[in-house]
Amino acid sequence: MDLPNFPDQSPPDATGRFTQRSAAEWVTFIAASLILLGLIGLIFFDWQTNQNRPPAFSVAVSEAVRVTDGRYYVPFAITNTGGRIARMVQVTAELHVTGVDDETGEQQIDFLSGHETKAGSFVFTHNPQRGDLMVRVASYRLP
Amino acid sequence: MVESVDDTTPQPANIWLIELQAILQGAVGGFLFGIPLLYTVEVWVIGAATGPRWLLTVLATTLVGVGLLTQVEGFRQTLHLHPIEALLESIEAVAIGVVCAALALVLLRRITLDIPLSEVLGKVVFETVPFALGVALARSTLQGKQRRDSSTDRVRRTIAPLSRRLASPTLANLRDALVDFDAALIGAVLIAFSIAPTEEVPLLAASLPPLWLLLIMGASLGLSYAIVFASGFTDRAERRQRGLLFSPVTETLVAYLVALLASMVMLVLFQQLNPSDPWSEWLSNTLVLGLPASIGGAAGRILI
Repeated sequence: MDLPNFPDQSPPDATGRFTQRSAAEWVTFIAASLILLGLIGLIFFDWQTNQNRPPAFSVAVSEAVRVTDGRYYVPFAITNTGGRIARMVQVTAELHVTGVDDETGEQQIDFLSGHETKAGSFVFTHNPQRGDLMVRVASYRLP
Repeated sequence: MVESVDDTTPQPANIWLIELQAILQGAVGGFLFGIPLLYTVEVWVIGAATGPRWLLTVLATTLVGVGLLTQVEGFRQTLHLHPIEALLESIEAVAIGVVCAALALVLLRRITLDIPLSEVLGKVVFETVPFALGVALARSTLQGKQRRDSSTDRVRRTIAPLSRRLASPTLANLRDALVDFDAALIGAVLIAFSIAPTEEVPLLAASLPPLWLLLIMGASLGLSYAIVFASGFTDRAERRQRGLLFSPVTETLVAYLVALLASMVMLVLFQQLNPSDPWSEWLSNTLVLGLPASIGGAAGRILI
């Protein structure tokens, strides 16, 4: 196979026939097709597995409370156990400690895809382990 | 600087090397066109929130757009194409776009093992659009200077040396090298200036683990070298003709330093970096902006 595609050389009669591609170009084409078919295949796979299941959430609050400068940091992790993506997921935390005012925390998570977990912390001024801490998902929006 | 181009008679060149050069040229075109949208939060967010049906629509639209561009441009140097060959080249261009976009997203940690499949697919598909268009435009964007100079009469301005001592042969060489780094600086500023004031730079820098910065440096140098290689400027005789003083590797390294310096100055000008910020922030922000800057710098060395 000669080199009809050399940069500065215009091939003699190339318009009508299908002879220009070198072996290297065919290899590129095969690899390119495989990559694109793989991508399309993955999109279909995702369509089949995830799109029929609406978002659902589970919130895990860690027991390992960190105390820094008199404030209590309570780590939490929220997982979308459903298939579809949820936007603006609002996580609220309420801390009831007897004898003092209730404390609340709020966290908005922009995006939570199916099976995705995001983590963060709530910060309180009273020890959450001496009170009653309730963390829940209040709302979300579909994209 | 006068260049003669007529003696580039085709040696028995390797088809694999020519093809690799074409693919690299496509990839480089993709990066040049895709980098501004790669550093855009909105594209990641839109990609992450899009469902599969829409992703397939976007992919199909991209293929149509690239197909139209390939009719007149493309990433190979071939000038006469059979219609089916144009279709094949469009498919290849989109695939190169997919690979480059995915690699770039991994490099910037927008795709990690923790991110669910649907989000990964969305980001890749939406970033593929500018990358694939860039691949399809690569032939015209990256046409080397020697080819362009022969067709048009575009000549670089030269300034007479200040003193006669500067006109001696070695110093003239040095001056040529300085002009080259000047071009690198212009290219770096052209590409990175629109990214420097955005929030993406600190956002990306903050999400990178410390050792990941080495990967960013490696990628910047690799891409910069690839741009020089893809445009065929690694040939020693040709380089001597252009009056280049340094080896391609040295030139890449020095141009990267120029790009980093330019990035840091731009970040300081936009008050993204303050003297009160920790040095690690200076380092990471500069390196993150240095990636587009070095790509622009390498392109500038070829085009300007």
